[in-house]
Amino acid sequence: MTAYLLNLATLATIFGILAASLNLLIGYAGIFSVAHAVFFGLGAYAGAQVAMLLVPDVLLACLAGGAVAALLSLGLALPALRVRGEYFVAASLGLQMMAVTVFSEAHALTGGHGGLVGIPLPTLLGFDVSAQGVFLTVCLAVLALILLAIRMLMRGSFGRSLMAIRDSESAAEAFGKDVRQLKTLVVVLGCALAGVGGALFSFYMMFVNVESFTLEQSILIMAMVIIGGTATLAGPLVGVLLLLLLPAALSFLPFIPPTQIGAVQQFIYGLAMALLMIFRPAGIAGQSAGRR
Amino acid sequence: MLFLQLFISGLQTGAIYALTAAGFALIFGATRVFHVAHGATFALAGYAYLACTDAGLPWPAGALAALVLAVAFGLAMDAFIYRPIQRHEGSFFTVFVAAFGMSIVVQSVIELVFGRGFVTVSSALTMARQVAPGIYLADIFWVAAGVAIALFVLVTLFLERTRAGIGLRALSENPELLRAYGLSSRRLSAMAFGLGSALAVPGAILTTMTSGLQPAISHQVMLISLAAAVVGGIGSLRGAALAGLLLGVVENLVIGVLDTQWSAAAGFVVLFAFILFKPSGLFGQAVTR
Amino acid sequence: MKQYGLNRRGFVAAGAAALVAPRLALAQSSPYVVGTLFPMSGPNAEYGSLFTKGIELALEHIRADNMLKRPITMAVQDSLATPQGGAVGMTKLANVDKAVWVMIGFTGVSKAAAPIGTRSKVMMINGGGVGPDLAGLSPYYWNVIPLVNQEVRVLLPWLQKEKLKRIALIYVDDPLGNSVVQELRKGLAETGGELVGAHSIPPATQQFAAIAARVRDSKPDAVYFASYGAQQSQIIKQLRDNGITQQIITYSAGTIPSVVGLPESEGLIVTSQVSDWEQGDEVTQRFVKDWRAKHNGDPTSYNQNYYNAMRLFALLAQGLEKAGTEVTGETLLAELQRVRRFPLVGGEGVLEDGGTMAMPLQIGQIRNGRLQKIA
Repeated sequence: MTAYLLNLATLATIFGILAASLNLLIGYAGIFSVAHAVFFGLGAYAGAQVAMLLVPDVLLACLAGGAVAALLSLGLALPALRVRGEYFVAASLGLQMMAVTVFSEAHALTGGHGGLVGIPLPTLLGFDVSAQGVFLTVCLAVLALILLAIRMLMRGSFGRSLMAIRDSESAAEAFGKDVRQLKTLVVVLGCALAGVGGALFSFYMMFVNVESFTLEQSILIMAMVIIGGTATLAGPLVGVLLLLLLPAALSFLPFIPPTQIGAVQQFIYGLAMALLMIFRPAGIAGQSAGRR
Repeated sequence: MLFLQLFISGLQTGAIYALTAAGFALIFGATRVFHVAHGATFALAGYAYLACTDAGLPWPAGALAALVLAVAFGLAMDAFIYRPIQRHEGSFFTVFVAAFGMSIVVQSVIELVFGRGFVTVSSALTMARQVAPGIYLADIFWVAAGVAIALFVLVTLFLERTRAGIGLRALSENPELLRAYGLSSRRLSAMAFGLGSALAVPGAILTTMTSGLQPAISHQVMLISLAAAVVGGIGSLRGAALAGLLLGVVENLVIGVLDTQWSAAAGFVVLFAFILFKPSGLFGQAVTR
Repeated sequence: MKQYGLNRRGFVAAGAAALVAPRLALAQSSPYVVGTLFPMSGPNAEYGSLFTKGIELALEHIRADNMLKRPITMAVQDSLATPQGGAVGMTKLANVDKAVWVMIGFTGVSKAAAPIGTRSKVMMINGGGVGPDLAGLSPYYWNVIPLVNQEVRVLLPWLQKEKLKRIALIYVDDPLGNSVVQELRKGLAETGGELVGAHSIPPATQQFAAIAARVRDSKPDAVYFASYGAQQSQIIKQLRDNGITQQIITYSAGTIPSVVGLPESEGLIVTSQVSDWEQGDEVTQRFVKDWRAKHNGDPTSYNQNYYNAMRLFALLAQGLEKAGTEVTGETLLAELQRVRRFPLVGGEGVLEDGGTMAMPLQIGQIRNGRLQKIA
């Protein structure tokens, strides 16, 4: 029982990192990416490879995962600098679809659909952190650090400039903000953090393959941010808890046959997305129904 | 010979993409709603046709049922999802999330009703015959091509020659003009959704007969129409149709050169390249709004 | 409370409901917890229900025979046929439900779940996945289905006999498909055949007209495809639609009703384990008779395998009960390694080192919507 709870908590923490990092893009910078799972995946593959080939050190794997994701976030930054709105969403969808093909084809790096099996137990600076409680603590520490960093950044001039760009790009430019640089920075930062989450994920699962990094996963992360509430620190975390607990909560309902539970779960998840957008577009933790 | 064959398969796939993408483009052009639930419309139409055929009804009845359901879904999305959202703010991403949510809902309802398996309607039309050495062609190719061309001509005539059609084109750019003409923007937007959804129906029926349906098809169709609409130039009906055709052909031709794995990604490479290098698309106007 | 079957309690226990629901189980009569980790939703859900039906019949027989002193409770987890679903589901089965015996399917799911099950010392039985790397995956992981390399080996002499030399292959690019390529390439070279084309496809692809064109272009004598789930029907139909008139061949994943019943499947060759329902032994006869009475048709080999998987648990637990040993994953494993030979549906099953089971194989052909043994 405890083992199960610890597992759920670890998964929630990792998704918390993902949602918080996507919130940087969607909430603070107005970059509506639906390709976040790509960078999650890059981090996971990089982390897993480091653990398997070098040393299963959490810190090293996180750094590697973050670095690889940051490097390749250029693929997202380029369209973000060129287009906005629907065009950017379309570009990120395109990126997501291409990445899935590359993930499943680059057998040498990703193991294809078979994935990477046999990721060793994690250590941290030589200490074994594989016990569930210890690993959860490590993940929580990473999440706390990330939240702290986001809070500090967003309260500073970086955050204010970003939000100015989000609200009106031309006005921000007129005030002398370097829009291109700021946007690139926030994309690199958001994707790098997703990569860190990916590295932790690979240790948690002890197995990674392309099925964890599909469009559906990107949409799930996006839904967590949107349903929870963008541009707030707590919002994405609320979203994570809601969407991860949904399947568990559904098993309370006695009238759903087990074989249909998947479909019913999807139904509620989809309906919640639509209804929230109609009645509470700022999300559950969002302050008002005001603009995003 | 192989390439000619692949090109022909590509045209058939492309004709279906073209019609569906044209519907998406029509809706976007007129209402500026990024209707990502268009794929769900397609899936609903396909399954409606399938259900009628399975019930032993003749094909026109199935086609009619598909049409009715598709149009009804399009109108309902407009009235109950997009309008309420636009009333209080209308950020395009809010609309996107809601529409995506609804397409997940439709997919799960289809799963509950029809199961998750692959389903198809057998038809003599899909059986290919050798028409030239190494070239196989099924009758459905001519059906797809004929229907696509005919519908496209009809829709173009409607948009250019009728009052309502001109109103539709003016809807997004010049609402004042509409008022001067005495046209209701609300009714026109409903018309755009009805017409756009109807354009997904032939593609859905043809797909039911050729490659078959499964609940997840709505996502796939949504991605293709979206890609075609962007490559064609958002809002341009002609562009979307041409881009749909192009994506279908590219997808098939790629298989002649690369491993089959890359076929699905090829369309998105084209999409990504267009966004980076020619965001206005084939026939689009200025992009940053 | 029902004592068997996929009842609600088993399911509720799987979710967070168990956080608050008091554990009903008391030490005295606490039931054995047996888990399933199958795709219950998504395009592979057909397998989940096939697998489950086999288990349900086995449970009925176990109960009717009073084989065990304690009842069996089922815990159901949806693997979604994805590795992630497998890892999450296995974690729940091992840690929340405390299942001692988990029946599992699918190569990718198994590979993700096996390390977790091994760590918790849970017995894992596969009757569906056929990737050759499922052999020797873990000491706790056992297959009651012949793996695909064995199926290919049975097929090769038949190809030789039928003078089908040039084989084109369409395969899903995953561990299963990749091993089929290797087996076929190696095997064909030895028997004087030739692999004239190997076309890999992603698991979710639905359009095969273009692949059909390439296959046709390579002028094969026969076309072998290695896929699973809903995709198989699409491959068969579209190959036939697009002018492939040659023999089409596949492996045991093609025994599901949606493939067998497809009009275009007429003539399809399917290798699988022997499903000779007229076979004389008592266990097989009873299985077939009751299956026909219950489901109004013949069982598939998946029904058979998971019946066997469930029956195997009962046989082992029965042995442990007799010896007065507690039933845990560890003791079940020890008992299995001690006995090795079991009376199962389809004849005696012999579990070998490396977690595989030798079973007679057959070549079948679909004729008039039914799979018939031809060799």
